[in-house]
Amino acid sequence: MPDASSGSSAADPSGEVDRALSEAAASRPVHTPGDVLLEVRDLKKHFPLTQGIVLRRTVGHVRAVDGVNLTLRRGETVGLVGESGCGKSTVTKMLVALEKPTSGQILYKGEDVTKMSGRALKQYRREVQIIFQDPYASLNPRMTVGDIVAEGWSVHADIAPKKGRLQRTQELMERVGLNPDFVNRYPHQFSGGQRQRIGIARALALQPEVIVCDEPVSALDVSVQAQVVNLLEDLQNDFGLSYLFIAHDLSVVRHISDRVAVMYLGSIVEEGTDAQVYGSPAHPYTQALLSSVPVHEPHLRGLKERILLQGDVPSPANPPSGCRFRTRCWKAQDICATEPPALVDRGQGHPSACHFAEARAVVPTE
Amino acid sequence: MSTASTSLPSGPAPRGAGAPVLEVDDLRVQFRTDSGLVNAVNGVSYTVSERETLAILGESGSGKSVSAQAIMGILDSPPAEITSGRIVFEGRDLLTLPEEEQRKVRGPGISMIFQDALSSLNPVYSVGFQIGEMFRAHRGTSRKEAKQKAVELMDRVRIPAAKQRVDDYPHQFSGGMRQRVMIAMALALDPRILIADEPTTALDVTVQAQVMDLLKDLQRDTGMGLILITHDLGVVNEVADNVAVMYAGRIVERGTVDEVFGNPAHPYTDGLMRSIPQVEVKGGRLQPIGGQPPNLAAIPSGCPFNPRCPRRRTGAEAATGRDCVTDVPPLRLVVPGREAACHYSEEVFGA
Repeated sequence: MPDASSGSSAADPSGEVDRALSEAAASRPVHTPGDVLLEVRDLKKHFPLTQGIVLRRTVGHVRAVDGVNLTLRRGETVGLVGESGCGKSTVTKMLVALEKPTSGQILYKGEDVTKMSGRALKQYRREVQIIFQDPYASLNPRMTVGDIVAEGWSVHADIAPKKGRLQRTQELMERVGLNPDFVNRYPHQFSGGQRQRIGIARALALQPEVIVCDEPVSALDVSVQAQVVNLLEDLQNDFGLSYLFIAHDLSVVRHISDRVAVMYLGSIVEEGTDAQVYGSPAHPYTQALLSSVPVHEPHLRGLKERILLQGDVPSPANPPSGCRFRTRCWKAQDICATEPPALVDRGQGHPSACHFAEARAVVPTE
Repeated sequence: MSTASTSLPSGPAPRGAGAPVLEVDDLRVQFRTDSGLVNAVNGVSYTVSERETLAILGESGSGKSVSAQAIMGILDSPPAEITSGRIVFEGRDLLTLPEEEQRKVRGPGISMIFQDALSSLNPVYSVGFQIGEMFRAHRGTSRKEAKQKAVELMDRVRIPAAKQRVDDYPHQFSGGMRQRVMIAMALALDPRILIADEPTTALDVTVQAQVMDLLKDLQRDTGMGLILITHDLGVVNEVADNVAVMYAGRIVERGTVDEVFGNPAHPYTDGLMRSIPQVEVKGGRLQPIGGQPPNLAAIPSGCPFNPRCPRRRTGAEAATGRDCVTDVPPLRLVVPGREAACHYSEEVFGA
């Protein structure tokens, strides 16, 4: 396999791409760093369950996302963690307008995305890009890398004039650590990590403000994961990007995120800065999740409190009443079955959706 | 690589383990493909003892799964071919036995569980039937009795309501429960060695913790040796006694988990430890290993890790016979209980 990656050191700070991207950043209306870019309010997505072939009847709903609130500020990274089936990928699909929410709002710079159409939606889709988990399935095997990266420009022609596109593509490739001479190669000629770089270059090509990263490093080998994480961090610093970083790997999320939201069965159960959520988790689910993460330093082994959850995640088609975690929770009482706990601060310093929220250090600190 | 076999007796003493059960000696596996000869396993040696958990740690393409498949005799050949080596189980070299004989030894003696439980189970048979198959095939048990045994095993792997669920089909179980069904099948005949190939990679962390706990408990009860194949350093640290780190079809470092992770002696292990973020603390910038894992059809000359190694020495920099680009570093003893395949291990170890 050819070593197409020239490493992140190949970044060319004086390159055309950087200039174009920073110009784009400069031409935007002045925002104080940290103003709200993307806000999700009470977002819901229910998929109908149907029966019958000729006469389709709706017999129920899978409540994949059931009331999610999120805020993403400029230049910040929000991590969204949760186990499979918790609805985190459905959230990302709605954010990039690939799915229409059942109810709720997605406000981008104050405008409701769910009501956008035509030119506004086109602009939104340019500014909010996505990087997918599977670098094998998300690249068209019949297109060259150059065509993949440049494809967005056929819709958003104003970003790159037709004449300089090849050069721009090569600069983008160089910026993400790929050898620009490989512009005419096909995805199968690259390794997993290199393909993920292609996906990143494709997202960057449209000079986005927000990149939704849906498990961007989960499919990669450990030694390559760190390369991609570092690349994402560099790009954020250089271009002032905001990331919504979705992953199930709690260590990676902690590393890259400024704030973290923990999802369970369609809703967010805890939210806070990385230090709050990891250092003093207050929701029993967050505590159990953190206690299950194996640590890789021998001297920390056994120091961690072990909370073994019983059973499996309930079906989102028929979620438990009240608090959704109550069926696996050791703190559950009668109130948990009747009243869904609100995601508020109950004195532990950050919002937690548990009636009996109590901060508790689970993960050993050195 | 002659060093592989000589290193066996001097290998690290397994922590808390009994007599050796399985001995793999200088195993080599090749695949003949259209694009050339792929050297997947290049001289791997290890022993597994009673009650020992040996982790084989490596990234995709390091040969960790292929070596396990060779032990189980489930390599597709062609294209795969075991070109040399011995696989000694309870004193008998499996590779010299006729196939039928091998099957009789492996069947009850060595079991394996796989990463993807759903595709490893047959969707058209109930789980009870599949677990019971072990007894019917190897012990000639009647159907009724085999089903009874299946219920007992399902209880043992803590599948709730085993009696009611014994006639259910694989799709009716969750991922964690399916993995338990696989473990039940693997344990049916009380094997002396269990090979677990990425048993929890497809599972969520909370379920992963349940399954790893179960495996540990079962191992304590039965005294079997466990070969845990994984890429997850955290899992290795939490459950294994000893670890062998593989790269490009070779073992590059071996020792107890505490020592290998606490003070790596090979630049690859060291690089892995530095490149993963921690959950306990928000660390500084990650220090990735540069470059890409090697292509097994064209493994670099000398040390296979040399193109990615920050400590590479070649030409005038290198000591005689220890040029990273031309001389293959043997797996050698660095300090008592620790072996590494690096010409300059002592420098890494001290760092």
